[in-house]
Amino acid sequence: MPHILRNYDEDLSALKDSVVEMGTMALAAIEKALKGLASRDSDLCYDVVEQDEIIDQQEKKIDELGMAILLRFNPVASDLRHVLSSINICRSLERIGDHAVNVAKRARKVIRSSELDETRLLEPLFAEARKIVSVALTAYSDVDEAMAHEVIKMDQKVDEIHKSLGKSLSQRISEGGCDTEALLNVIFISRSLERIGDLAVNIAEDVVFSTSAEDIRHT
Amino acid sequence: MTNSTSTGHNADDSIISIEDLSFSYDIGKTNTLRNISLKIPEGRVTSFIGPSGCGKSTLLRCLNRMNDLVETSRITGGRIEILGQDINAPDVDVIELRKHVGMLFQKYNPFPKSIYENVAYGLRVQGVRRMDILDQAVEESLRKAALWLEVKDRLDASALELSGGQQQRLCIARTIAVKPRIILMDEPCSALDPIATARIEELISELQDDFTIVIVTHNMQQAARVSDQTAFFYLGELVEYADTTTIFGNPKAKQTEDYISGRFG
Repeated sequence: MPHILRNYDEDLSALKDSVVEMGTMALAAIEKALKGLASRDSDLCYDVVEQDEIIDQQEKKIDELGMAILLRFNPVASDLRHVLSSINICRSLERIGDHAVNVAKRARKVIRSSELDETRLLEPLFAEARKIVSVALTAYSDVDEAMAHEVIKMDQKVDEIHKSLGKSLSQRISEGGCDTEALLNVIFISRSLERIGDLAVNIAEDVVFSTSAEDIRHT
Repeated sequence: MTNSTSTGHNADDSIISIEDLSFSYDIGKTNTLRNISLKIPEGRVTSFIGPSGCGKSTLLRCLNRMNDLVETSRITGGRIEILGQDINAPDVDVIELRKHVGMLFQKYNPFPKSIYENVAYGLRVQGVRRMDILDQAVEESLRKAALWLEVKDRLDASALELSGGQQQRLCIARTIAVKPRIILMDEPCSALDPIATARIEELISELQDDFTIVIVTHNMQQAARVSDQTAFFYLGELVEYADTTTIFGNPKAKQTEDYISGRFG
C-alpha cells in the first residue's frame, strides 16, 4: 500500500533501484574478472580494476539517498528496516566489488605466467559465487525471505569448493615442480570468491531483517 | 547569520526579498524581529522553524501585512519586496497584496456557509458573477486541494460538517481560488491527526508546481518532509537559512544543531 506522501514512495523506490543497480555492477565485475582470467585477457581484468570507482561512487550515492530519507521522512517499522538494510547491503556490494578487483589483479599475475591447468579448477567456484550474489540480489529486489534463507544454504557449497580447491592446490605446491607463485595467486582468487559468498550471506541476512525484523546474524 | 550558498537556487529566482528587516509590536520597545535578510525562491516550499517567540510567525504575517491589524506595530527598519514591489510603500493596496499572498491559519476557519460558497467567496468579492466561471473555479480549486472527490456530491452542504482535515483542505481551496502567487501557512497541521497531516503535506508538495509556499511549523519533521529550504530563527534573529537537507543533515550554526537535535528549546 502506498504512502500518502508520494515523494516518500519515490525516494524509497529510488533507493531500492540504486542498490539493485549497484548489485548489477558488482555482478558484472565478477563476470568480467572470470572472463579475463579464462580468456587470458589482461585488459579485461584491468577494466575491472578501473571500473571499481563507479561502484564506489554508487555506494556514496546510496548513502546520500538513505540519509536524505532518514532525515526527511523519519521512516519507521518496515520502512526503517528497508532503509537500514539497503545501506548495509550497499556496503556488502562495495566489498564484493573490491574482491572482484582482487580477483582481477591476481588474474593478471596468473596470466603473465605460462598457461596453468589449475585455473580451470576455479570455474565452478566462480559459477557459485556469481550465482549466490545473483540470488541474494533477487531476494532483495523481490523482498523474498525464503530466497534469502536459500542464499545462506548456498554458501556452504561455496565454502566446500573453496576448501577442496585449497587442499588440492596446497598439495600440488608441496609436491614441487610447479609455478608456486601462480598457484598461490589461484589460491588467493579462490579466497576472494569465498569471501564474495560470505558477503552474499550478509546481504541475505539484511533481507531477512528487512522483511521479518529478525536478526539472524551470528546465529 | 549563516546563509548557505548551496540553496540550489540563485537570487534571481526569488519572489520574496527581505532585506535587513526589523519589526516591533510596540514601537519604541524591543524589536521582535532584528535585521532579517533572506530571499525566498519562487515555486518552492520554504519552512520557518524555531522555538516559540523566535519571530517566525511574526515574519510570516509581515509578508501579507497581517500585522497591520496590530495598531502599535511597525516595521522599524529594512524592507520586504514581493515581485519587486516594496509591500510597505504608501501606495500599496493591502487588499490587492493579499490577493497575491494568500494565507492559511493554524485553526481551519471555513465560513459558516456551504462548501461551494466558501470556495466561491473570494471570487464573488472580486466581482465575479457568472455562474459558469464560478462553477469552474470551484471545481478546479477543490480538485487542486484534493477535496473534489470527497465533496462533489454535496457542494451545498455546510462546510462545518466536514472533518478537520477536510475543512483545512477547503480553506486551501478557498485560498487558491483567487489564484495567489504565494501561500503563507501558519502551522497548518497543528490541529490535525497524522493522516490528515500527511494529506495536507502531500497537497503542499503538489501545490508547489503552481504556488510559492512559506510555512511556519513547530514540527521539525514536517519541515524536513515538505520544504526545499528551511530558515531557523531564534530570539528574533535569523540564525541559518539553507537547503532543508543541509539544515537537517549538516547545519553550520551550533544553535541550529542544538535546536534540531533537541538540546535546547
